[in-house]
Amino acid sequence: MTIPATWEPLTDADPVLTIAQDLFSTMIDGEPGHLYQWMGESPSLEDSRYAWVDVSGPVVTRVMLMAGRATGEQLTRALLQMDDSEAVSDADFADAVGEIANVVGGNVKSLVTNPGALTLPVVTHQEPDMSTAFCLLETYFGWKGAPLGVSLWALAS
Amino acid sequence: MKVIVADDSRVMRQIVIRTLRQAGYDWWDIEEAEDGAAALTKIRASQPDFVLSDWNMPEMSGIDLLKSLRREGNETPFAFVTSEGSPEMRRQAEAEGALFLIAKPFTADVFRETIDPFIS
Repeated sequence: MTIPATWEPLTDADPVLTIAQDLFSTMIDGEPGHLYQWMGESPSLEDSRYAWVDVSGPVVTRVMLMAGRATGEQLTRALLQMDDSEAVSDADFADAVGEIANVVGGNVKSLVTNPGALTLPVVTHQEPDMSTAFCLLETYFGWKGAPLGVSLWALAS
Repeated sequence: MKVIVADDSRVMRQIVIRTLRQAGYDWWDIEEAEDGAAALTKIRASQPDFVLSDWNMPEMSGIDLLKSLRREGNETPFAFVTSEGSPEMRRQAEAEGALFLIAKPFTADVFRETIDPFIS
C-alpha cells in the first residue's frame, strides 16, 4: 500500500523561511539577519533563473528556487568565498544555485510525512512549464536588497 | 589521517572541506570524489581512515556506496553529510553501519560536536 505524503504543514511560508534563514546564516552570510520575508506584491526578477528538486511519490512535488542572474552570481560568490570582482562561470552558477535548491528541498522534504526520493537539482534559464501543476506555496525573500522566490508545486502525474 | 569527501557538487565539497578546517581538522589529508562510483574507486585505491559522503549523487548514491563497501568487507568508518536528515534516513544510515548523519546546512560547531567523539 502506498501512503500519500502530507504537504499541508508547508503551505504556510513560515517553515520555508526558517529553513532558508538557517541555510543563509550558516553557509552563505556566516551570520543571521540578512534574509527576510519580502513584503508587498510579488516582485519581478531580472534575467531570472530557476533551480528545483522534485520529491517522488504518488504526487510528485517540486521545490523551486527563483532568482535573477545577478543575485545567483552573488550567491555563488558567497558560497565559494570569491571576490566581488571575480567572474562566475556557468558551471559554478548552476552548481551553487542548484545546491541551494537541493538543501532547501531536502529540508522541506524532512518536514513531510511519507515523502519519496529527492531528485538531483536542475537549473535552467527558461521557466519550466508548470501549467498543469498546482501551486501549494509561492513566497519571496529579500537578500541584499534583491528578491528570491521559493515555490512548492504538486505536479500532475 | 586520510579522508575522502564525496559529493557531486564541487561547491558543496569546498564548503564541507572549509568547514572541516574551521572545525579544527586542518591536519586531515582530504581527497575529493565527485560521486559514489568515483568514491568507491578511490577508497579501494587509497584506503582512507574515514569517508564523509553526500547521500543523493549520480552514478552511485551514498547509501549504495556504503552497502558496496560493507559487502566487500571494507569497514572504513563512514558518515553522511546530506541535505536530508529525516528520521527514516538516519535509521537507514545507522542500519547500514554509518557512524552519523549531518544534515545540511551545518556549522563548524556541528562538525566538531559530531565528529570529535569518533576521532579517538
